[in-house]
Amino acid sequence: MLRDASALADILADARVWRLKDASAAPTRPVWSTGCSSLDARLPGGGWPTASLIEVLLGDIGLGEVQLFLPALVECQRRVSQGGGEAPWLVWIAPPHEPYAPALAQQGIELERFLVVQPASATEALWAAEQALGSGVCAAVFLWLKGTDDRWLRRLKLAAEAGGALGVLFRPERHRFESSPASLRLLMTQGEHEARLDLLKVQGGRPGPVDLGGTPLGAA
Amino acid sequence: MPTPLQPAGRPRAKQLWYAAVFPQLVKEHSAALLQRLCMHAQQFTSFVSIEPPNALMLEIKGSLKLFGPRLPTDIDARWRQLGLQAYSATAPSTLAALWLARGAMGRPRQPCPGTPASTPIHIEDLGMLPGRLAELPIACTAWDVERLQTLRAMGVTRIGELLRLPRAGLARRLGKATVQDLDIALARQFAPRRAFVPRERFRARCDFETEIETVAYLEKALEPLIAHCADFLRERQAGVQTLRLKLRHRADPATHVHLGLAGITGERRRLMDVLTQKLTRLELQAPVRDMELISGALQPLSAGSLDVFAGRPSAGASGRDSLPQLVERLRARLGEDAVYGVVSIAEHRPEAAWRRVQELRGEKMADHPILTDRGMPRPVWLLAAPLPLESVLLILEQGPERIESGWWDGKGVARDYYIARQTRGARPHGAPLAHGARLWVFQERQSKRWYLHGMFA
Repeated sequence: MLRDASALADILADARVWRLKDASAAPTRPVWSTGCSSLDARLPGGGWPTASLIEVLLGDIGLGEVQLFLPALVECQRRVSQGGGEAPWLVWIAPPHEPYAPALAQQGIELERFLVVQPASATEALWAAEQALGSGVCAAVFLWLKGTDDRWLRRLKLAAEAGGALGVLFRPERHRFESSPASLRLLMTQGEHEARLDLLKVQGGRPGPVDLGGTPLGAA
Repeated sequence: MPTPLQPAGRPRAKQLWYAAVFPQLVKEHSAALLQRLCMHAQQFTSFVSIEPPNALMLEIKGSLKLFGPRLPTDIDARWRQLGLQAYSATAPSTLAALWLARGAMGRPRQPCPGTPASTPIHIEDLGMLPGRLAELPIACTAWDVERLQTLRAMGVTRIGELLRLPRAGLARRLGKATVQDLDIALARQFAPRRAFVPRERFRARCDFETEIETVAYLEKALEPLIAHCADFLRERQAGVQTLRLKLRHRADPATHVHLGLAGITGERRRLMDVLTQKLTRLELQAPVRDMELISGALQPLSAGSLDVFAGRPSAGASGRDSLPQLVERLRARLGEDAVYGVVSIAEHRPEAAWRRVQELRGEKMADHPILTDRGMPRPVWLLAAPLPLESVLLILEQGPERIESGWWDGKGVARDYYIARQTRGARPHGAPLAHGARLWVFQERQSKRWYLHGMFA
């Protein structure tokens, strides 16, 4: 029995073997609680998967898309400053507007470990994201893009896995029907009264709409 | 810059000198070579002195503690690595070490097969010094021919015989310098020596056989230059913070590529990394005929960087970066201003309540209170300039928060801020907004006009 198990482990360790839908079998990858229980419940492991790429497709900016991740970022920085980790930096690449320091500080982000990168072109933004994700010093790297090809996304995913960082890519909604290597794809649109969140793709979970009702996310 | 002198000390074995004699060096060509050897020697100690025409002296008392008792053997090994024949000796005084090293040169290299290969001459005990020196032929002193001939005429062939002669007579017949040399050799008297001061910049040039037109080839050609530079820095236990690459063209003026590093470094991988990033952004105006790499002023590496010099893989080599390295790479390609941090400032006017910072240290900064009225939230995005809102229907959800400040510096504001939600309908001109997005708007109190200042996201 033991031998069988180890033989199986050997097979699974083979680089040519790729495992589908295997959230439960990858417990080494930590998750960060989203701060919203109804969303946590829908995500494998109960939170944002780190060391991976998340894609957020936006109907428009200003729907609470940053607010979606802020509690996790604050929690992660807090843990690091208490000695629970080594990669405390947050990097925002090509944000659509100036990140407003008082707002971030108000929410509990430690600005001394927060970096903004404003590249001149989309290619440079992608390059910068790849560097930051793979560097091993970043907890999370956010990237705002108008469009990109599948090949670059794959590179970002690999960099995020290598560097152990959470990569979040914000893109316009029109890219929702393109294929994407991201392990999690979210769609944020404006509903009748509040923002709507749909899980388009969840590796190891079930896609579908998420009820944000009553949480600050819906109102943010 | 004044040449440092070794501080005068009492004739106790406070110092330990390692001397190496290179018999291959010929007088006419030795100066430059000795300088280069000095740079190698500086890996082992900070005090290296040249003894023309063919010897070096290293003060190794302190280094011996650091590197262990095998140090002289290690230095010998370095000369062998460089393909140089060297005779060496270690003794408590400069001249004793030098004379003993010269004495070793006269001996057969390997006395006979079977016996251990010539054991290194190593004397730390002052009491042993006269005995060991006594065996040496007087030629080891390398005094001028006249003095040596006078001595030979007196029947003196070894230093021991010389030491037995009365001092006064010796001084009269051979000059005071002779007696002084003996005193120095026996560590009775101290002789200050000039330390070798290295050139303070690295400069190396690479000529191309054919003109180079693409940056990719430049990178290839740069690799050996950088490797050379890293070796140069390691030998000095130094690093640089700036580098300059000069690309010469046939007719056009030379192109200069300036490189600033976030920290002092001498690491090959890191220098190459940053320069490569810089080069990828370079657009060559004309084909390059040759290039020259010039370092900025050399700076000593901090203790933390010493592992580089010891040859152990440093943090950078293991594939993981530190933040300064990441920032450096990003800045090299994207430009200095493209990478920055932000701080909040205790100031009522929203546009003045923050600023960019270029220096990124990751240390806890002083906490600035965020000045808001009753904890009114601030938006994540701030527009570079307030955007006039015209004919837009807004639902005001929270507010007003009155901000009146800055009358003293001419940029006074008097505004009522609200958190608002835009209803379905026209978008404000130029503002990519969703209906339903939460906005940070204000009404200017004098003109009663409405502006968009930020967005919650």
